[in-house]
Amino acid sequence: MAQRRERPMLDRRTFLQLSGVSSAAVALGISAPEAFADERTPVPEGAFGLGVASGEPGPRSVVLWTRLAPEPLAPDGHGGMPRRPVPVQWEMSTDESFRRVVRRGTAVASPELSHAVHPQVDGLQPGREYFYRFKAGRETSPVGRTKTLPARGELASSFSFATASCQAWYHGHFSAYRHMAAEELDAVFFVGDYIYEYGITSANLWRAGASVTPEHAVDIETLEQFRLRYSLFKSDPHLQAAHALAPWVVTWDDHEVQNNYGADGSRYGVSPEHFVHLRAVGYRAFYENLPLSLSTMPDGPDTALYRRFDVGSLARFNILDTRQYRDAPPADAGDQYDEQRTILGHEQEQWLYDGMIGSPATWNVLVNGVTVSAITEDRTDQWDGYPAARQRLIGAMQQTGNPVVLTGDIHRHVAAELKADFADPSSETVGVELICTSIASDGDGAPTDGYTPDWIQHPYVKLYDGRRGYVHCRMTPDELTSEFKIVSWIRADADAPLETVARFVTPAGSPGLEKQG
Amino acid sequence: MSVTTASKVRPITGLQGEGKLARIVLDWTPEPWETVVDHYAVYGTRDADDVEVEPGTLLTKTVYPHFVHRGLGGASERWVYRVVTVDAAGSRSRPSTLVAVTSRESVSVSGSPLAVVGEFDGKGLEFALSPAGSSQYNATFPNGVDFSYGTDVVGTGWSYLQPGPADSWAGRRNHLFRLRFELDEVPAHDVDLALWLIDSHASIPGSAVLTVNGTSVDRLTFEGGATKGSTQGDSTVPGSPLKPSYLERPLAAGLFVAGENTLELFKDDGSWIAYDAIGVFARAGH
Repeated sequence: MAQRRERPMLDRRTFLQLSGVSSAAVALGISAPEAFADERTPVPEGAFGLGVASGEPGPRSVVLWTRLAPEPLAPDGHGGMPRRPVPVQWEMSTDESFRRVVRRGTAVASPELSHAVHPQVDGLQPGREYFYRFKAGRETSPVGRTKTLPARGELASSFSFATASCQAWYHGHFSAYRHMAAEELDAVFFVGDYIYEYGITSANLWRAGASVTPEHAVDIETLEQFRLRYSLFKSDPHLQAAHALAPWVVTWDDHEVQNNYGADGSRYGVSPEHFVHLRAVGYRAFYENLPLSLSTMPDGPDTALYRRFDVGSLARFNILDTRQYRDAPPADAGDQYDEQRTILGHEQEQWLYDGMIGSPATWNVLVNGVTVSAITEDRTDQWDGYPAARQRLIGAMQQTGNPVVLTGDIHRHVAAELKADFADPSSETVGVELICTSIASDGDGAPTDGYTPDWIQHPYVKLYDGRRGYVHCRMTPDELTSEFKIVSWIRADADAPLETVARFVTPAGSPGLEKQG
Repeated sequence: MSVTTASKVRPITGLQGEGKLARIVLDWTPEPWETVVDHYAVYGTRDADDVEVEPGTLLTKTVYPHFVHRGLGGASERWVYRVVTVDAAGSRSRPSTLVAVTSRESVSVSGSPLAVVGEFDGKGLEFALSPAGSSQYNATFPNGVDFSYGTDVVGTGWSYLQPGPADSWAGRRNHLFRLRFELDEVPAHDVDLALWLIDSHASIPGSAVLTVNGTSVDRLTFEGGATKGSTQGDSTVPGSPLKPSYLERPLAAGLFVAGENTLELFKDDGSWIAYDAIGVFARAGH
């Protein structure tokens, strides 16, 4: 089928042949040839309907993101954009009114990536706040704020961040993001379940005032359905505001592809040979819709998602992938306790230990999908299903300065101390696990519920709360302060006030949770 | 690099089909990973020489190189198919080559019913507790199902799910479902059992012991489903994630008696199955 081209626009072959920019960078929405940047391409009104974002911060760089979608909920997943490449200009400034623009450039938004762009901005100053915006045609995006990380080796006086997970849009309003957007943050860490694959019907659409068209009623499978699902979730103004607040660093859990999957294994009867095709489109849509760098661009069904960020010498964040390489659920107890069993895959595991042991950072953080702490033997989707791997991790933590695990998945706030031997609660505490509740999954929730006894039976579990919210953390060279924030309702509206249900201090050099107030 | 730079998407190759009970299974060779596939669009028409690629003949969009055309019913049906590849940019390939496939006829169509519970229609909505009442199973069917054909009512007498010992919600125990039915006389020829499921547990569907009038006949092993039939009752809804399966097997005439007969399914292995229909059929022409 011939592609429609409208003169005098440059066609694909021409701009790919232009010198100075690699064809891959052009095609992948990173950059664009100079000639193309001047193209006067008409862009439909409201093209920035999905907002803006930044991510993957470094001391001198950050990735910017937007996806042109004048009709975000167009059923074909292309957001109402014409099927042709469009130049998108970006600029970065040290002030919000863009009087002091320090970097600007152009990226190509192409239909191959549903008109998403991921330009990486280099040459920035460490530890500095910046503002950015995009232009396409006559359209100008909202302004986003971002921040670079402190210089390599610098012991920053503090680093503040929030963690979030599990944003089932249909279960309620993103009130938690409304409050998060008012925080002063250096970064946001998202620990999985950015979307859910389930069909949205009257049975699970609890968000008062919301309605969806029939395209949303089925479990998603095709790339157009995954793109549409991201568009639906990202249409929320509070989520957009949280993205525009600070750089995000994201990992996934299972629902970015399918509930409780692991490696090429589906729990719903899809053969491994077929399942990799679902994984490929799930990973593709994840990349397209989040501020990720080119290194996390999927190659077929594979994505190199695990990576690390150093916040000067104050903290090292190891971003883990607990889905792509995990062993299958245990067939029996012998299998579950097999010494070779792995949730990270042996390669990622070694990479993690190499980055933990001997790390120069004061705080060594694991950004992780599922609960590490021992809770019950039948929670085999969590690290409970991989006890030998957990023990190896604990062993590495014992050789690491101030280990901290940030987790999501369970739709509950939980704070726990990680023990050298979970079977012996009096054993040494080697680190802390801070599990953030969901942004929306499971609706309003309640302080306690039917799962509470499973968790609080353990003396090392110091907090349990089943309402929606996020965790706010502030790190200094001396201590980590974690605040567990909740909203009491989300189904009716987004108006619930923010409450802090618990505040813990973890002193550097003395892992554990000291409850405040 | 996983980006489609060619403006033309190639059609898939290797399209082949297999006719089965109430469904036709299509498989083809997937595009190489260099082509980022949005989906494969499968087009089909019944009783025709070719299929027009147009919205009215679109059967499904799938990301898999595989499609099970379900809900064909018990009668044999002949279909022709073509597949179009749609890539991440929205570009469409030419239609693939055509394949013609015929589904197999069910004994529920070829035979005469002696006892039937439910309708062989891809739906389990007519059964008790359907589509999502599993939490009431223990209270409603504490001793399993004991159903008299011709007397009892499907909507209250036969549970939509038959649990197994792996199901904690049903007490982690075995479950017996019994069908009673009258025959005027011993059948002169072998008869056929048809057991259709709208879904089953994906990883541990397990098996059940089939007994007729106290004689253990067979252990029926179930296909893995999608673990969705405990909350959804209609596999014919477009986009339904349910994975129906079908069991049909002969039963020797000598197993039956004049008067009351009992057919039992004793689920002592694995997790649940979700019923579409179950029936015993005399063979046509006999």
